[in-house]
Amino acid sequence: MNSEQNLQQAEQLLAAWNKETTHPEANRLDAAIVADDLRPAVRALHDAHWGYLSSITGLDLGPDAGQMEALYHFCNGAAIATLRIRLPRTSDVSLPTIEDIIPPATFFERELHEMLGFRIEGGKSNERLFIPDDWPEDVYPLREDFKIEQARPVEGRHADELPEAGVVGGNKFVIPIGPQHPALKEPGHFEFTVDGEIVTAASMRLGYAHRGIEKAAESRNWIQNLYLFERICGICSHTHALAYSMGVEKLAQVEVPARAQAIRELVAGLERIHSHLLWLGVTAHEAGFDTLFMYSWRDRETVMNLLEQLTGNRVNYSANVLGGVKSDVGPEQAKAIKEGLNFLETRIRHYLEVVTTDTMFLNRTRGIGTISYEEAEEFGLLGPTARASGLLRDVRVEAPYGAYTRFPISGVTETNGDLEARCVVRLKELLVSCFALRTIVDNLPEGPLTTKMPRKVPAGETISRVEAPRGELFYYIKSNGTEHPARVHIRTPSLCNWVSVLEKAVGRQLADVPMLIAGMDPCFSCNDRLVTTVGASGDRKTWSWKQLREYGIEYYKR
Amino acid sequence: MRIGTMFKDIVRSFFTKSSTQLYPVERIAPPERYRGILSYNPSVCTGCTLCVKDCPSDAIELVILDRAAKKYVMKYRMDRCIYCGQCVVNCKPKGIGMSNQEWEHAALDQNFMVYYGKELDIAKYLESTAAAPVAKTDS
Amino acid sequence: MNTLTSLTSLLIFPAGLTLLLMGMLYEWTDRKLVARFQNRTGPRWFQPIADVVKLFAKEQITPGIKNPVLFFGLPIAAISGALTAALYVPLLGFAPAHSLPGDLIVTIYLLSLLTMCMGLAGWNTSSRFALVGATRALTQVFAYEAPFLLALLGPAMAAGSWQINVINDYAANHWFIISQPVGFVIALIGLMGKLELPPFDAPEAETEIVAGALTEYSGRGLAMFKIGKSIELVVGITLVSAFYLGGLHGILPFLTKTLGVLFVMTMLQSLLTRLRIDQTVGLWWRFGTILVLAQIVIIILLKGGLS
Repeated sequence: MNSEQNLQQAEQLLAAWNKETTHPEANRLDAAIVADDLRPAVRALHDAHWGYLSSITGLDLGPDAGQMEALYHFCNGAAIATLRIRLPRTSDVSLPTIEDIIPPATFFERELHEMLGFRIEGGKSNERLFIPDDWPEDVYPLREDFKIEQARPVEGRHADELPEAGVVGGNKFVIPIGPQHPALKEPGHFEFTVDGEIVTAASMRLGYAHRGIEKAAESRNWIQNLYLFERICGICSHTHALAYSMGVEKLAQVEVPARAQAIRELVAGLERIHSHLLWLGVTAHEAGFDTLFMYSWRDRETVMNLLEQLTGNRVNYSANVLGGVKSDVGPEQAKAIKEGLNFLETRIRHYLEVVTTDTMFLNRTRGIGTISYEEAEEFGLLGPTARASGLLRDVRVEAPYGAYTRFPISGVTETNGDLEARCVVRLKELLVSCFALRTIVDNLPEGPLTTKMPRKVPAGETISRVEAPRGELFYYIKSNGTEHPARVHIRTPSLCNWVSVLEKAVGRQLADVPMLIAGMDPCFSCNDRLVTTVGASGDRKTWSWKQLREYGIEYYKR
Repeated sequence: MRIGTMFKDIVRSFFTKSSTQLYPVERIAPPERYRGILSYNPSVCTGCTLCVKDCPSDAIELVILDRAAKKYVMKYRMDRCIYCGQCVVNCKPKGIGMSNQEWEHAALDQNFMVYYGKELDIAKYLESTAAAPVAKTDS
Repeated sequence: MNTLTSLTSLLIFPAGLTLLLMGMLYEWTDRKLVARFQNRTGPRWFQPIADVVKLFAKEQITPGIKNPVLFFGLPIAAISGALTAALYVPLLGFAPAHSLPGDLIVTIYLLSLLTMCMGLAGWNTSSRFALVGATRALTQVFAYEAPFLLALLGPAMAAGSWQINVINDYAANHWFIISQPVGFVIALIGLMGKLELPPFDAPEAETEIVAGALTEYSGRGLAMFKIGKSIELVVGITLVSAFYLGGLHGILPFLTKTLGVLFVMTMLQSLLTRLRIDQTVGLWWRFGTILVLAQIVIIILLKGGLS
């Protein structure tokens, strides 16, 4: 079924509650509904297995317009159906929860609640996820009338309420992992209640790497934002820049030349190799297999050197500009890329063999964290984590963008759904990438590298989806015709995949927990949306080293 | 089912050179396109300030002393620059470039302001700001 | 004269200071070899010494400890256990400084004292990671201690004595690695378990429980535990190579044999993934014990048959 038929089917399913239908873009359907009809509409789409809930965007239309909007985006292949709810901007903006119908919706709803102040009725979505516990009540950062002076920590509450050390009822015991922990490459907070070595409950708090990027984007111009979004994450940086550029180019109705699109795909493929080799090393390190860690990271240097030769930097490549790419692929770069790819392919095949045959490593990965196809669908998983369970969710295959129509990628799936399958999926994807990249380098279309982009992007809104190494990256960009975006909402893939850790950790040993976390390839920098450091005395100066150290010592003496 | 699948790698590593780069004793030269510190050529500058407008981190400030006679002073804050290269892309007469040799910027003091331009112009600008101290913007 | 030689051998050579330096040397060899296996350069020769000096110079923080006497006393007990154990083994190829009948058991007990001290130290602090690490360390002791002792018992039974000195001399003519290969394998792997080297480093699993039982130690206490561990490394390797590799008589045989055993251990460290604690216990109680018991039965039968 192609997009049109998909959208027609969606329209039929929503006919009972749909007040108004619009098609903002060719592959999108916008259905305006009222808040009371949200649950039946979502249930209709869910029961018909029409796509999956990709994201929930909240918009504050401003105190002048007096309205707030919530957009529920469902994606099915290349088609996107959005349920649009408009609510008056009162002190009590409420929506019913849908987390009992679609479990992963709780993360999106919590973000709506924390950042914009929607009250979500029913369920646990009024708990905090991103914002620290000492953030004041009723202060919502993404509202139009938010002032930074309002962000003062509440007296008497710690930034993270940790349960008392030691025994918590019976033989149970809470082990905190993070924010500082050798298992985590980036900060995040998990609490695992263990009984001996078996985990009995799991919960998490995020927000330690939150930098307020969505809010910052509203005060920068379109070109500056490109570099802001690129720095959301170090290993998915090109895909963020790509999603943003594609969205803005769609709004401005600018066609990027074919050569630039091919080079964008080339850099994305190299980034994927970089990301998956890094992931392989991290997983091996979590398992205690340091040799594999060192060797895969040594080979990662090859791809980083290729990227440096091509774009000028090893991380944060900045290969994109709005309207094209910055740097060309000349004959010597092409030769270097092909040699590098040959070397990498041999090594990747070797790692694939190691991962599937080494007995001791398989002891830590085979049969652990198994997620079946149905569970993957219900949890709303994305990326290689879903593909390891047989669920092919890959934007490059389902909704090819850019040069993927010309240089397609075949999707890779496995059926077992355990940690070993996730390793195998990622490594096989790299082999597919190597093949595709060689084809691109040999068949780069001729042409210019950039086209002219207007400085003021015409008003409108657009959705841009790109396949990052961790899954589908979702950008919602809204412009009101000025030099600054009105709203940019980013939903990164790692946010959807956390459920796989929290659900599957229960019943397993404590030693499996870091492997489970590593198995879904978390990127905390990507998915955080807070830590404002306001001085303990309430002033907004940056803390001196001395103050910070004293605070730390005092905190831990308790 | 095998034990010790990385055995060949281990044995081979005795006969290959170690992959550790012994920086700073051994330095590998960066590639040609490497994005290092900025360089500025005032004689081709037109004063359009597109570089200033699009800098994501406000690292460049262009002081126009005399547009017709091409007397410009560029104030560049090395610590704010994120080495993205947008200013290089924006500059039509190619007045800004990025060096690929100078990129080691670890420093012991916080003196990161660099002044580019012709010697006379810089001297004149510094004199004028020293004589009539301008309110410093937030650092 | 006797007191003077005794004191010298206790404090300077071959135990005491020389032992400390040897411990550092072996630790460096281990780290350097692991690095070379992983295609890296590895630390320079003075790195372990520098680490110890740095740790002694650092501030010792005592967060949330239940019993301060234990907190400060356990590192001392641990290191003294290791140093005392060294008196009974043929260090550097010389005859052991002291020798009494049954000192094999005493030595192994003293080496276990080190692990017990670490376990107790983990319980003593109120850190959750330390408690999990301590639990794992003590569980692991229950796993490998019996097979390790039985594996060392093989040569003891063949030599007809529990005294390390006697076994060492007997082994000079009999290379037990050839006549008791299973025992050698178990002894070697048991040693890796005792020293908490990968793949048996679950008690100190950095990516799961930060640093295990020693999480809250810093400064002097940590330095003493580390020194204790490196001494345990030397003493353990000396024991295994004295028993199985034809006795240690002389400095050159000592160095070659012990460094050879270290090389094999390092290679095993690099090749294998860490085992979970339940997998460690399962492995030892299923394979380790059965194999070594079979070996002992064979020895008994052979000895009975020969005599």
